[in-house]
Amino acid sequence: MLVPALGLVEVGAHLLQADWSVPDADWTGARQYVVANASPDDLVAFAPRWADPLGREHFGPTVATLAREARPDEARFPRAFEVAVRGAHVPSLTGWAKETVAHFGRVTVSTYRNPSPVRVLDDLVALVSAGSPRVRASRIDGGRETDCSYVRGAPQTGGLGFGPAVPGDRFACPGGAFVGVSVVADLDYVPRQCIFAPPSGATLRVRFRDVAFGDALRGHHGVYVEAERGKTGAPVTLSFKVDSGTIGSVVHRDGEGWKSFEFSTPNLRGQAGELVVDIGSSGDRRLYCFEAVTERQADVP
Amino acid sequence: MKLGLRWPEWRLPDRVGWRDHVIGAALGLAYVLWLVATARSLGFPRDEGVYFHAGESYVRWWRLLLTTPHEALKPNVIDGAWSFNSEHPPLMKTLFGVSWWFFHEQLHIFQDASTAFRLPGMASAGLALWVTYLFGARAYGRVAGLVGAILLGLMPRVFFHAHLACFDVPITAMWILCVYIHWRAQAEGGYLWAIATGVVFGLALATKHNAWMLPVVCIPHALCVHREAIGKGLRSGQIVIPSSLVMMALLGPLVMYALWPHLWNDPLGRVQAYMQFHLNHEYYNIEFLGRNYFSPPSPKAYLPVMVVATVPSVTLVLAAMGIGERAKLGALRAWSWTRSWVAPAAEERPKADAAQTDLLLALSLLVAIGPFFLPKTPIFGGTKHWMPAYPVLAIFAGHGFALIRRRAHRVLEPRIGKRVWRVAAEVALTLSILLAPLLTTAHSHPFGLSAYVPLVGGTAGGADLGLNRQFWGFTSQTAAAEYLNAHAPRGSVVFIHDTTWDAWSRMQQEGRVRSDLRAAFAPGEADFVLVEHELHMNEVDYSAWVGIGTDAPTYVVQHDGVPIVSIYKRR
Repeated sequence: MLVPALGLVEVGAHLLQADWSVPDADWTGARQYVVANASPDDLVAFAPRWADPLGREHFGPTVATLAREARPDEARFPRAFEVAVRGAHVPSLTGWAKETVAHFGRVTVSTYRNPSPVRVLDDLVALVSAGSPRVRASRIDGGRETDCSYVRGAPQTGGLGFGPAVPGDRFACPGGAFVGVSVVADLDYVPRQCIFAPPSGATLRVRFRDVAFGDALRGHHGVYVEAERGKTGAPVTLSFKVDSGTIGSVVHRDGEGWKSFEFSTPNLRGQAGELVVDIGSSGDRRLYCFEAVTERQADVP
Repeated sequence: MKLGLRWPEWRLPDRVGWRDHVIGAALGLAYVLWLVATARSLGFPRDEGVYFHAGESYVRWWRLLLTTPHEALKPNVIDGAWSFNSEHPPLMKTLFGVSWWFFHEQLHIFQDASTAFRLPGMASAGLALWVTYLFGARAYGRVAGLVGAILLGLMPRVFFHAHLACFDVPITAMWILCVYIHWRAQAEGGYLWAIATGVVFGLALATKHNAWMLPVVCIPHALCVHREAIGKGLRSGQIVIPSSLVMMALLGPLVMYALWPHLWNDPLGRVQAYMQFHLNHEYYNIEFLGRNYFSPPSPKAYLPVMVVATVPSVTLVLAAMGIGERAKLGALRAWSWTRSWVAPAAEERPKADAAQTDLLLALSLLVAIGPFFLPKTPIFGGTKHWMPAYPVLAIFAGHGFALIRRRAHRVLEPRIGKRVWRVAAEVALTLSILLAPLLTTAHSHPFGLSAYVPLVGGTAGGADLGLNRQFWGFTSQTAAAEYLNAHAPRGSVVFIHDTTWDAWSRMQQEGRVRSDLRAAFAPGEADFVLVEHELHMNEVDYSAWVGIGTDAPTYVVQHDGVPIVSIYKRR
């Protein structure tokens, strides 16, 4: 009689699972709590990953901002509000100290404290995104540098395989190259807001004026998943320079995914100056994107 | 108060015969009616749009052949009609077109052209149930056949694909029909069964390329059945080949050739091109356990995990019981046969099955699933590509149920005296194993590709495990039904994501999607953006965030709380 019993257990399990969903009131309660308690510097993240669209729907773009949704990593956030259903957890918050837990029906909001937060001094993505006059871009072909003009317009998008959206507000360079902020699907299909700068066989140079330097220059870079996953593309080199010389350079090779880098800048700490970023590759369809910040280790309270 | 009513006493003869065809056909018909009744709530997958188009093209040519044959048979006219979608064989597309022509264009039986196109596919699902019943009834008894056929129909993925004007359920039906006819041919002998085997094999070849593997099922089985005659022939210098195999070799390709005018102008070249297409098929994206697969090697665990996650657990347990019992009997036979060589007539041997039914069913099951353990076999179709294994799985499940029922009878009959209670116990036992498959299958509609069985936690459990949510872009219809039709301003432009233009426009023609909504193929050009959630489609989602200026959907289509389609509205 075990099999009929199993059949009935399956019926029971189905009845429990069928039409499972999170009531709108639970999301609303969780949102009100997060809005009341989170500061703009805090991370708000949804778990499990598949519930992210529901979180964005109910929390809206002012809470589920691009900076939070398409974050490069969690290091810059001093605190995180994890909004979870089904007992899920944001894996990258493992190791953070849990501070509070609040339940709103089927939604649980937990707050976590970052054990080693960093203080961002200048964020290159934010500077490009805002169309800051502190930023200039150019294209270098065989030693000849040509300025890229800053244009505003509608983004260019497409379906599967088109690649990341070409931002409407961007530096438009000769030969179709450009520099602007977009959201790229990395090798794991995770969103990354970054400076989209496909080198197109030349070197793209981006100059950032009056950058405040701290202990380190840290960032990530990667290539749009469909251009990277076949592992047939040419490497992309990213280098950072200041007047006094090169801070460092890093190479991204296909298959490395969203790759982090960090250069110590103790000699530049407390100074401000021009940061020159060069992006170069010999290959085609290098739909390359990077982000970087200058930072100082924050004082842990 | 005694009403004096009596249960009607009717008993089927022991021998399986025409009455069983009536039972099988009734079962199949009931299933087809269920499919027709639920068809309108299911949108059009990408492939269906292509096959609708092919069906129209092919039936147009057949009509031309009937009216002006000399014109229809001109090589350029043949190629003009049949070059479209020539990478798949013609039988089902022709039937889709014929059904559309008669039932929609001429007789107006179906208001939706799509339902007429889909009818042959649905009918093939009915045929699969019919044959499964007959096969099961003849092999292991009527209870096994009946419960097996019902359990086949109550697999959520089978139910989903059975709605479609595609080839996966038709090849499932043709596969089990071919195996069944071959089995009868070995048991009955004679040319009629042999010819029928060849013809059905040809129809299977004309349905889908899975049929290429049917000889791997039929040849070893026939050689085993006729091994004594073959051995005797060899000893006397003759080569004996079972007539059904000869007919498969002769009639199979002939039937396919006759039904496929595309081959007529360059038979060898086009057969070669057809085979090359499938032997070197592109690898589409598919998520499995949270990872996107897009190239070989395919994960070996894919088939077992997906079977466990999509076939109702009670069906699998019953199948395991049925297989276990047959395997045990087979092992006893083998052991007895081995002993008979050492000590002849030492003991009575279990009665042998001259038709080698267990061997045939085992071959049918293993050959249908075998390729999916090879690293180079693409896995993009989810479970649909190994569905020809399911009728046999269902027959074994039916046999498992018959074993349980027999045991229940042994235990309960001495304890339950009244007939009415025995009937009640019988009904309860049957319901206990059919209810879960019925509920999960009915509940899965129209999200049959998103739904997973309770064992893995249902749809949300499947999402937790990182199993594929959907493919083919058919859920845009649900997005329209739940949101767009009611909320989109007149003339809005909608990015239709993975949905094809053909599918979208047909949904509009049939009133499923508002006809004033205009389709766009770039999120940045749209007022509303649909994102049908699949792991590799995340890139389109992110592109939409930039293109439409927000990352917050205005509405999310869900199944059991799991996002299926996000709908963004331009801000």
